[in-house]
Parts: sequence; C-alpha cells; structure tokens
Amino acid sequence: MTLLQAKGLTVTFGATNVVDGIDFEVRPGGTLGIVGESGSGKSMTSLAIMGLLPSSATRAGSIDFAGTELTKVTERQMRAIRGDRIAMVFQDPLSSLNPYYTVGTQIAEAYRSHRSGVSRKAARAAAIEAMDRVHIKDAGKRVDDYPHQFSGGMRQRVMIAMALSTEPELIIADEPTTALDVTVQAQILDLLAEVRRDTGAALILITHDLAVVSEVADDLIVMRHGRVVETGTAEQIFSDPQAPYTQALLDAVPRIDDSIGDLRPVPGGPA
Amino acid sequence: MTRYVVNRLAGMVLVLFLVCLFTYMVFFLLSPDPAVQICGKNCTPERIDQIRANLGLDEPFVTQFLNFLRGLFIGREYEGGINCPAPCLGYSFQTSQVVTDMIVQRLPVTAVVAVGAAVLWLLMGVVGGLISAVQEGKFADRFIAGLTLGGMSVPNYVLALALQYVFVVWLQWLPFPQAVPFADDPVQWFLNFILPWSVLAIGYASSYTRLTRANVIDTLDENFVRTARAKGLRPDLVWRRHALRPALTPIVTIAGMDFAGLLGGALITETVFGINGVGKLAADSITKNDQPVIMAVTLLAAFFVVVGNMVVDLLYSAIDPRVRVGVSA
Repeated sequence: MTLLQAKGLTVTFGATNVVDGIDFEVRPGGTLGIVGESGSGKSMTSLAIMGLLPSSATRAGSIDFAGTELTKVTERQMRAIRGDRIAMVFQDPLSSLNPYYTVGTQIAEAYRSHRSGVSRKAARAAAIEAMDRVHIKDAGKRVDDYPHQFSGGMRQRVMIAMALSTEPELIIADEPTTALDVTVQAQILDLLAEVRRDTGAALILITHDLAVVSEVADDLIVMRHGRVVETGTAEQIFSDPQAPYTQALLDAVPRIDDSIGDLRPVPGGPA
Repeated sequence: MTRYVVNRLAGMVLVLFLVCLFTYMVFFLLSPDPAVQICGKNCTPERIDQIRANLGLDEPFVTQFLNFLRGLFIGREYEGGINCPAPCLGYSFQTSQVVTDMIVQRLPVTAVVAVGAAVLWLLMGVVGGLISAVQEGKFADRFIAGLTLGGMSVPNYVLALALQYVFVVWLQWLPFPQAVPFADDPVQWFLNFILPWSVLAIGYASSYTRLTRANVIDTLDENFVRTARAKGLRPDLVWRRHALRPALTPIVTIAGMDFAGLLGGALITETVFGINGVGKLAADSITKNDQPVIMAVTLLAAFFVVVGNMVVDLLYSAIDPRVRVGVSA
C-alpha cells in the first residue's frame, strides 16, 4: 500500500539530468526523508511531484499518487490536487509569504480555492483554526497581521497552517528548517511530526541535514548527483550505511562525543 | 498615523519655506533691476527710484521677503491702489496683472494636459510592460524594447513637431490646433489635445514600460508567487493578487510624482502646441524677463512636487503594509 510512488523519475534541463531516474515511495501517513547535498536534485524532485518545475525543465518517468498518474493529468486537474491533496512548505518562510496580504488572507486563499462555495467568513474561521493547530497564540488576533510582523519560526508555522488547512494527504516540506535558527528548528520539526500524527498526512521531508531526518523520518533515500545512492529505513541507514557516500555523509557530521580532530568533508563536489 | 501625517505636514511646510527663500534670494541677487526694465529707455534716476519705492524694491532683503510671505498669507497692496489678495504671488508690471490671477487662469488647461498625458502613459506603459514581461525574449518583447528606446531618445520638441507635421499637415487627420473652449465644441477640444497628450505620454510611457516589464519579471520569480501556485490557485488569481499588485505598486507611486511635476507646467509641449498653460506662461515670462511671474511659476512647480511627494508617501503606507507608519518619518 503506497500513497505516492515514483518510478524512473527524471528531470532534465537541456542535456543535463538533474534528477536521473529515481524510484521512491511514500506510505500513507509515513514520513520519507530525502537527504542530499545542495545540487543533488532533491528540490527538483519535490517540484516535479507538484508539477511546478521551471518551464525550461522537462519531466519523465512516472509519479503515481493514490492511483492518479501525475505526469499524465492536465494542468487543471493538477491544480485541483496542488494545495488540496498535496501541500507544500518551503524553505524561506519570509519570501514565501506575500508581504502585501495578511497571513489570514493567505491561508484562507488556499482553503477557499479548493472548497467551492465557502464564504469569506468560514474561510477566515478555518484560517484561525489552522493557526491554532500550529500553536500560534492569539490566532484570532494574529490572523490579521502581515508576514513581516511575525518571527521566522512563527512564519514557518503560518506556512504549515496554510499547508494543513486543506487537510492534505501528503505534505512536502522542502528544507523547512534551514532558514531558521537552531532552537526554532527543533520546534518546527516537532510541529511537523505532530501535524502528521494528528492529521494522518504523509510527509516528504527534504533536507541536507541528517540530524533533521534522524528525528522525524521513517524511511530515507539518499541522493547524489540526481541519483538515489541508498534507500532504506532511517534506523537501518543510520546504524549500518551501505553506500560509501552515505558513510562519508554520516562521518562528516561532527559528534559531541568524538575526539577533537579535523572535520571530514565529503569527497568530490556537486556535478 | 495622525502623528505621522502631522510630522510630514510640518516637514512639507519647512521645505516650501526654504524653496520660497531660496527662489526669492536667487531673483533678488542675480536678476537685473526690474525697475530699470519697467522704466524703459527714456528714464530718469528719479523715475527709477519712484518705481523702486512702488514695488518695495528699496527695502532691505529681509523686509522684502517678509512682505512677500505676508502677501502669500494675508495679501498685500501695492502703491498705486493695486490690490493683491492672498495668496499673492506678486504683481507683473509688464502685463499689469496680479500674478496669482495669471496662474489661476492657466492652471486648468495645464491640468487637462497633465491628466490626459498621465492616463495615456500609464495605459501604454503598463500594457506595454505586461506584454513585454509575458513575451520575455520573444518578438513582441524586442519590438516594444525598440519602441521604448526610440521613445526615450527622441526629444520632446522634435517629437512634437514631427507628429504635428505628419498628422496635421500631411495626413490631415487632426485639425490645426486652435483654442476652443470645451463647452463650445467638445470634439474639436478633444482633438486639439491628442497630440500634446501623446507627445508628453510617449517619453514617460517608454520608461514606464521598462519599469513594468522589469518589476513583473522580478515578481514572477518571487518565492511567494511559487507559494501561490503551490496552493493550487487559478493562474489569473496568481497573476492578479500575487504578481501584479507587488509589481505595479512602485509604478503607481512614481506616476504620482511625475504627474505632480507636470502640473507645474509642460514648458516645451505647451509652447510648441500653443497651449496657454502654466508652462507657456513660464516660457513667455522668461523671454520677457518678467520676474514675479517666473518666480511664482517656480514656486508653484515646487509646491506641486512637494505635495505630490507627500501624497505618494501617504499612499504608499496605505498600499504597502511593510512601510510602517512613523518609522520612515
């Protein structure tokens, strides 16, 4: 039983395959971590699922989402899925929110565009409820604030509220903690885990940060140069990495119980 | 908000006062003696002294300036029984008229020129910019880029004469320009203004096209536009709400400034087309060295720019929630 299954997914810019025939699957309610350095193709993978690739990119392979082949649907059908059944949380919450509208308006907008005939008032109530669920205090008041009036962590909570307001089956979080400071990162990860527990939504967590996936992910794929170098459960991969690249990646993380020595960079660079 | 407005108003008054002072100083110190000019060729020193006394030119600078300010606010009376009610901008001995009346007479036609031109250039600039942005790199974009380059490089007076030759003399699509009151013949009135509007608009429209194109292309690249798409929003809503509003806000505010500048008179265009507005008044007064009028027109232009600036700032804080009221004051 899978919610989303990608087979031979390929994203090409000109003559370069930035995602090169990768396979992965997400179970309903499960969490898949996609780990890799920058340039490994992880973000392009998420945009390929959403059908939001830049126009200069082409997509090949298959993405099956709950029985729907996403590479075959029309843009109109895809739009009905986007934001409703698959929602996305982006890296930088400040630039990802429109500075001209209140957060309430922006959350309600997602909600209303997928619920025909919902009144403004009902959408606003839904926005407040979503903000409540991501633990924004005084949601009833803060719903009328603008993005710049929130702190970084709170803005990411707003993004998550926007994502969960439509009760999606899958949430894709692309580096959701990278732009935040360390103390806030943990809170956001906890929140994502909580949202997943409460709503039963599956989660694809894309990150370069091994510490992030180790806390949240059930399954893991490790990407490099557009290819999957290792697949398995998080536990398996952390305790017994098979691929030399995964090994190197784990070794590159300084450990608090390690003797002080040189940091060990991963050999090679992005293709 | 109230405090912000009060602060801005105070700042505005200060700027206008300084403009007044500076302009007055320039004309007081640098200009040839108006009394000599008024007196003409066969002039005795006694006559010049008398004119000086009539105009108040024998007073020291500070007194003259204070008189001028007093005239602005409470009006003044010149010797010889000439009454100049507030706001008194001076008296033109060359035309024997109160300057304020001269300007008030000509302001409406200048406003018509400015409003029509602004409507036209906003329309052309925004539409042209949008087409360029949507067709980025394609033929339409390059074609419009060529047009804007031309529009920006051709000087106003060349364009005015060329258009007049083509449309009035050669093609005869437009009547020979003559002053017709709106009430007498609205069609003729409208036809008269088509060329001046176009000449003024083309220059502005060119830069607005480029600005709109750049702003729209930049905004479409913004992360929040990607977010809007990821929400599953309809493309027209993505455009209207998330791309156009941020892209066009700066354009609206710049348009406010440019419009305010034009209210001070379009010197070249009004002169070429023989439109009896503030711009032509300025041009005529400069050739005749009619100082009170030149000074008044200068002050008027400064006044519109300062007021326009303030209106734009207030507008901006209303449109863009990030401009926190009070901070930028």
